[in-house]
Amino acid sequence: MIGPFDFGPVLENFDLLLRGARLTLLLWAIAFAFALVAGLFVGIARSSPRRWLNWPATAYVELFRNIPVLVQLIWFYFAFPVLSGVRLSPFAASAIGLSLNASAYCAEIYRGGLQSVARGQWEGGRALGMGEVQLMGRIILPQAVRRMIPAFTNRAVELLKNTAIASILVVHELMYEARELSAETFLPLETFAVVGVVYFLLIWPGTLFSSYLERRLARQGG
Amino acid sequence: MNYDWDFSPVWRGMDFLLGGLANTLLLSGAAILSGLVIGLLLAGLRIGAGGRVLGFAAAAVITFYRNTPPLVHLFFFFYGLPILIGVSLSPFLAALIALSIQSGAFFAEIFRGGITSIERGQWEAGRAIGMGEITLLRRVILPQALRRMLPPLTERCFELIKTTALAASLAYGELLYRAMTLTSQSFRPLETYTAVALLFFVVLCGSSFAIRALEARLALAQP
Repeated sequence: MIGPFDFGPVLENFDLLLRGARLTLLLWAIAFAFALVAGLFVGIARSSPRRWLNWPATAYVELFRNIPVLVQLIWFYFAFPVLSGVRLSPFAASAIGLSLNASAYCAEIYRGGLQSVARGQWEGGRALGMGEVQLMGRIILPQAVRRMIPAFTNRAVELLKNTAIASILVVHELMYEARELSAETFLPLETFAVVGVVYFLLIWPGTLFSSYLERRLARQGG
Repeated sequence: MNYDWDFSPVWRGMDFLLGGLANTLLLSGAAILSGLVIGLLLAGLRIGAGGRVLGFAAAAVITFYRNTPPLVHLFFFFYGLPILIGVSLSPFLAALIALSIQSGAFFAEIFRGGITSIERGQWEAGRAIGMGEITLLRRVILPQALRRMLPPLTERCFELIKTTALAASLAYGELLYRAMTLTSQSFRPLETYTAVALLFFVVLCGSSFAIRALEARLALAQP
């Protein structure tokens, strides 16, 4: 049947979708903030020559990057409580899974950024008598972070796309509200088309910003 | 923690799980192949091989699919498309269509980036010694571009394999969905999901090592 599309019921319930979008953004913000902080420590450990720091960090990064995000969320929701005796809400399990996953990717961005800073900068800082922490905070990171920003923006975009997976654990974010709405209205075509556009409007600015930053960085010669 | 690990239900269901892994790889392989075809097509249109209108349409498809979650497309094609065409799709087919178009959009940008990254002088030199466009593309441009495209292409393929786990939400019997089925019978979520996570890890990490070794050899072969 090719009837005329009926977007009316979907648009009438747009506030439902907006409520879902709020939770999507909250989930994204929590996971990204955690990933930026945890990723820094894992990234530094990963670039350390000391084995007892380097190996666990490498295992962490490889483990989270080589397992599908959905498997990680399901593991934290269904398997982790058996192990720890702590029951997680769907939102908590999703937030933990997405945070850890994103932190592994952020760690690699930090590592790449740190490696890109010329060796002389480290030597110069040490020659001035700076400690490791001071050197990192005042010399290395400020130079490296500028080069990492496009990659972090990319990761933020990927993370925003990944939040939709939380709907499978029944977190009431945008994708979940869409599934509910499509089941109630019997208009899956229209609902998922509209939700696709809503996601696109949330995510596309991030991609544009990231490519703008990349172009600017290329012009400045890194 | 005094939890008694018991992997015996997982071992008993291992054939069932490995069958799921085969389905995961089947969906991945099919989506990579059709994604490459769609990607070539989109890239060709995007650089203007089919006129301005089609070029704009290709750019719109690429941008939209790169900036939306794959889960939306899975649901769109599984629940929405049948209403439009009047034929219901199997979970496999719906997932295949959604994942092929999405990876096609990513592949298209890699192809375009690879070809446009070759310096203009290479084209000019080829023309100057009297090569036709096709020969030039085949003998000068593509051999150089392909080497640059290979790392991002394989990375995208790995992303795609991981994304196929989403097909579990359409009840396609891939590895994760089979694990869910097994768990509902054995009530051993910890062992089952840990085993499945490790299976994914071994397959993905193993193939990424193999590919890196291959890439290193290709790099050595470069003059």
